[in-house]
Amino acid sequence: MTITRRATLREVALAVGKALHRHGVKAVLTGGACASIHSGGAYTSRDLDFVVTHLTTQQKLDAALGDIGFGRTGDRYVHPDTQFWVEFPRGPLAVGGDDKIRPITLRDKAGRASTLSATDSCRDRLAAFYHWNDRQSLEVAVQIARRQKVNLRKIRQWSEQEEHLDQFEEFRRRILERG
Amino acid sequence: MGVVSSPFGGQTKTRTLLAIRLLGASYARELSRVLDIPLAPVQRALRGLELDGLVGGQIVGRTRLFKLNPSYFAKRELATYLAKLADADPELQRAVVQLRRRPRRTGKPR
Repeated sequence: MTITRRATLREVALAVGKALHRHGVKAVLTGGACASIHSGGAYTSRDLDFVVTHLTTQQKLDAALGDIGFGRTGDRYVHPDTQFWVEFPRGPLAVGGDDKIRPITLRDKAGRASTLSATDSCRDRLAAFYHWNDRQSLEVAVQIARRQKVNLRKIRQWSEQEEHLDQFEEFRRRILERG
Repeated sequence: MGVVSSPFGGQTKTRTLLAIRLLGASYARELSRVLDIPLAPVQRALRGLELDGLVGGQIVGRTRLFKLNPSYFAKRELATYLAKLADADPELQRAVVQLRRRPRRTGKPR
């Protein structure tokens, strides 16, 4: 897929995922961009954070992203025709204290990309709410849970391990409120 | 400077992390005072630690306040390890003890 000014975040993410895959780079989309996809755009993000899950080199990343028109500026890959940029934050792939994450694969005509599941993306946003008291992240987690099927039992169990059961209850109440 | 080992990539980086562990939260200028080293290396150390996900910075007023990243996947293990390392750095412990951090009523003379 050619990245144009009109490409959506999801399309860019899938095109990047496909380019990485073609170059043998294993990486998972996380953070705000992932939450934006799962929340159906209820939250907008311009940075695509891919966590590399297997050893790779800067040259491979440069080549993969270069294939679809991205150039590197410092640690960030930018493209002349899109407002979205790509970064590779250091791993490991984890949500709070849980580093046994099973990514899912999103596919469509734009490409394919490994991403956090809706449940894990929800936990990822909740981690920011729990640990940094970021209420915007709570809202995004609520939007994800309202739009996608998420495993609330798993989220509760993890919240207990993170020692934030009270905030989990607030999250659960917010899901049930009328949006 | 103390004789603590530098498992986090250099004395400044390691001692910055230890100081944050002991203080709970801190900012570059305070860390520079506590560690008795110039501001620029502390800021560099903080940037590196942030990139590694070991610390997180939050803007409070005009200050960027750093603490151990509570979302870090091994936060408990890291905190325990740092506490052990800090035990071996009495110089740093003394510097931290000298820092007044309890509240001071507004208007009370210093």
